[in-house]
Amino acid sequence: MTTMARLWLRIVSVLVPGADREEWLEEWEAELAAGGPGMDPGNGPRSATDAWGALADAWTLRTEGWTMEGMLRDVRTALKGLARKPFFTALAGVTLALGIGANTAIFSVVDAVLINPLPYPHSDRLLSVNQTAPGLHLPVVPHSEAMYLHYLKGFKTLSSFAVFQQDNVNLEREGDPERVASAQVTQEFFDVMGVHPFLGRGFARGEDRKGAEPVAVLGYGLWQKSFGADRTVVGRTVRMDGVERLVVGVMPKGFAFPAKTELWIPLPIDAQNPQVGSLSYIGIGRMAPGQTVQSVQREMQGLLYSFADAHPDDLSRAVMKQAGLAAHVEPLKDLYVSDIRQALWVLMGTVGFVLLIACANVANLFLVRAEARQREQALRTALGATRRDMVRYYLTESVTLALGGGVLGLALAWAGVRGLLAMAPVALPRAGEVGIDGSVLVFTAAISVLSGLLFGLFPVFGYARRDLSGALKEGGRASTSGRERHRARSTLVVVQVGLALVLLVGSGLMVRSFVAMRDVDLGFATRDRLSFHVSLPSAEYPDAASVGAFERGLLQRLRAIPGVEAAAMTTALPLEEYKSATPMEPADHPVAQGKLGPLVNVRQVSPEYFKTMGITLLEGRGLTADDEAPGVRSVVISEKAARTFWPNDASVVGRYVEEQGSKETFEVVGVARDIRFEKIAEEPGALLYYPVAPTGDSVPQPARSLSVVLKVGAAPLGFVSAAREALRAVDPRLPMVEPRTMAGIVRDAMASTSFTALLLGIAAGIALLLGTVGIYGVISYMVSRRTQEIGVRMALGAPRGSVLRHVVRQGMVLVGVGLGVGLVGAWGVSRVLSSLLYGVSATDPATYALTAAVLALVALTASWIPARRAARVDPVEALRSE
Amino acid sequence: MAAVRMTQVTALVLRAVAAGRRHGFDIMDACGLPSGTVYPALRRLEKSGLLRSGWEDPEKAREEGRPRRRTYVLTGSGRAALANAEAKLSEVRDLLRDLPPAPREA
Repeated sequence: MTTMARLWLRIVSVLVPGADREEWLEEWEAELAAGGPGMDPGNGPRSATDAWGALADAWTLRTEGWTMEGMLRDVRTALKGLARKPFFTALAGVTLALGIGANTAIFSVVDAVLINPLPYPHSDRLLSVNQTAPGLHLPVVPHSEAMYLHYLKGFKTLSSFAVFQQDNVNLEREGDPERVASAQVTQEFFDVMGVHPFLGRGFARGEDRKGAEPVAVLGYGLWQKSFGADRTVVGRTVRMDGVERLVVGVMPKGFAFPAKTELWIPLPIDAQNPQVGSLSYIGIGRMAPGQTVQSVQREMQGLLYSFADAHPDDLSRAVMKQAGLAAHVEPLKDLYVSDIRQALWVLMGTVGFVLLIACANVANLFLVRAEARQREQALRTALGATRRDMVRYYLTESVTLALGGGVLGLALAWAGVRGLLAMAPVALPRAGEVGIDGSVLVFTAAISVLSGLLFGLFPVFGYARRDLSGALKEGGRASTSGRERHRARSTLVVVQVGLALVLLVGSGLMVRSFVAMRDVDLGFATRDRLSFHVSLPSAEYPDAASVGAFERGLLQRLRAIPGVEAAAMTTALPLEEYKSATPMEPADHPVAQGKLGPLVNVRQVSPEYFKTMGITLLEGRGLTADDEAPGVRSVVISEKAARTFWPNDASVVGRYVEEQGSKETFEVVGVARDIRFEKIAEEPGALLYYPVAPTGDSVPQPARSLSVVLKVGAAPLGFVSAAREALRAVDPRLPMVEPRTMAGIVRDAMASTSFTALLLGIAAGIALLLGTVGIYGVISYMVSRRTQEIGVRMALGAPRGSVLRHVVRQGMVLVGVGLGVGLVGAWGVSRVLSSLLYGVSATDPATYALTAAVLALVALTASWIPARRAARVDPVEALRSE
Repeated sequence: MAAVRMTQVTALVLRAVAAGRRHGFDIMDACGLPSGTVYPALRRLEKSGLLRSGWEDPEKAREEGRPRRRTYVLTGSGRAALANAEAKLSEVRDLLRDLPPAPREA
């Protein structure tokens, strides 16, 4: 049995009535240790969920004999009691609402994004079926046409297998052309997903082969928005990217896979002469009944070997080994949420801490209140209330209050989620589905009840057990067992300070990462740059000549706009998602046969690209219009590429490079400074820049998906409409897509970090606030209880300064212990943060020291205020009040 | 002794105990139900006198190198309640069989 399970049982066992507790624990521990059939004893719990039921069990035992009427009566009494103390109730309720609301908000995101990211039938059977190549630092290697056909024929462990490729198409209709997120898919795609069109049909066999009639399936949103929900659209043709496609079906509401796709068209697979080496199709599959991820993985590995053996020229065993190429099967949801997963779990843990701190505060309030109510309690006992009645009454009160806080928290969360999504990274999948739904409500109810039990149990154990006749006699101000009460409150302060410090350290580390990322030298300029996308249908721009004409025509018009200082275009701007790694080699010393050349990322750029982007040329020149002329083969490479190819040479202009295995060589005409193009946090990789539309019919193809960038005097977004006019003048059918500034692109690239930093900051702020209130509350309470004692001391000649110091010291001792606990806790927890950090170590001493100092200072203030009050006690008054 | 309402869960649990499953987790496995369902049912059944719990021989547990486990057995009234539930179930089954088939939905 794991330590966690043991701890869980201990916690839950407090619910079990005392007489049964020991045997109860023994039973559960024995069962968990016994393991299941066919398992080694002692290795349990068989699954983590087996231990969860202990809570339901303990609850059954605790509530035994509770009747509906009794509970309603208790709730009524509790409500009356809470209404009598409106300030107490409001303070506790708001504190809880903050904690519960924060948890609900984050949980609703976690639920939609992580727990249930694929709301399709039996989505647990959906798999990502691809390769991986750790040797090339490629976690996911997709399929080529030939691989797809090979796997399609071979798979027995999958009931269906399909590949797809994300794309965008221009929908040409009357009025403005429209850009639509689309996916090219094979015929089995809808079978794999388990979702089929609600209108018309999916793709028929053979429609995903080269030369088939062009067809398309619309998404529900697109159908509503652009076709007015017209059912007769099925059977009509629509012009997309210059091709008339027959609409054969409309998908049901809520289906958007891959993320945000609104249109599906078949992949034109060439079954006669399939491409072997171009790996661009993502594979997905549906597990056949009785199979596991491992069994699919095993079968796929075998199929991959047989594929390699059938294509020794393209994929030798040696290259496979060097690249570490292997089958890679995982649940489909893991493929889509990996980037944001870590950040979301960290946030979930964070708000959990906030809730614990809130509970500690409320527990403190309850302790204070329980003390004031000793008389009432003693009276009830004297009138025949059993201990069990008292426990039930207290728990009803705290759970009622917590549920009230939960309702308020739900309202906060509802508002908070909206704000959260507005700030969320663009890459957050399924952001549209995030909201308060059934499972979120269950979660909120569960954490409300749990926190009610948590803080409700404190006074129960502190007071319900005590001999109360003394309290009755003494008249409310029992000074007995003050030590015990004080210990409970002190523990709460220590816990609060510790938890708050953990959160402060976490947010401090995130803020430092954010600052470090902001200060990275990207290698390109971001100020006063406007960018947008445009994509050229190959039906209308079939060759380099037509693409080149478009390139020159658009750039000429853009440069003519007053205020535009430079304009250029490229296949992908820095930090835009674009993968194009190709093995390359210097022509003067090619890589040995059977070895893979260094991977170089390829971009195609227009003349003036380097000037427009503010990328320094270290040697030679940038590309010009002449480099697109027939017979000219020029490239610019990055510093890193130059060092990779010719590590010992200072000057490389005039040398030649080639794509590995190709006989076509390109002359290096310039060397550009390294830039961060994939991730801000990643050291620059090797880059190679081809012209946009080089003449000639081999590598590279003319670029048809283009990012345009303008350098302007100021206020880049003010140039959007002029740029749109220029595009319209060149080709009115092309939509301008996603105009944004370069600074915006950089901001989006940092969104995940800034989002986490901001939310952690908010959580830490709440924690600090609640913690401060907690310390202040405890110290002031202590002072108010000890007014007489202080009065006596002062009457005996103790100077005010020493009283002040004494009180402050008492507070700071607790804070010090809390800080110690918190530092150890932060050190332990920071490991989970480390993958989110940049430029700062997870155990950075400066961050730890600074945040601890801030917390200590705040705590000092919080205990100094009541201490000053203590020092102002008038001894005569204090003694007279006796 | 409080009466317990016979539900699908309680009938399943009784059936599993009657079939010789003596420990909580074995009963869970036999019923295919989670611990959070089986344990509360066990408590209710024991309280209403249909089950009786005890502890297995500690000698045996020691031999197998694990802590002793709680055991559950049917009482006389438990056997009667199970027979009763099974009789009712087969009555329902007969009733369903003799009904005319449901019309197909259009």
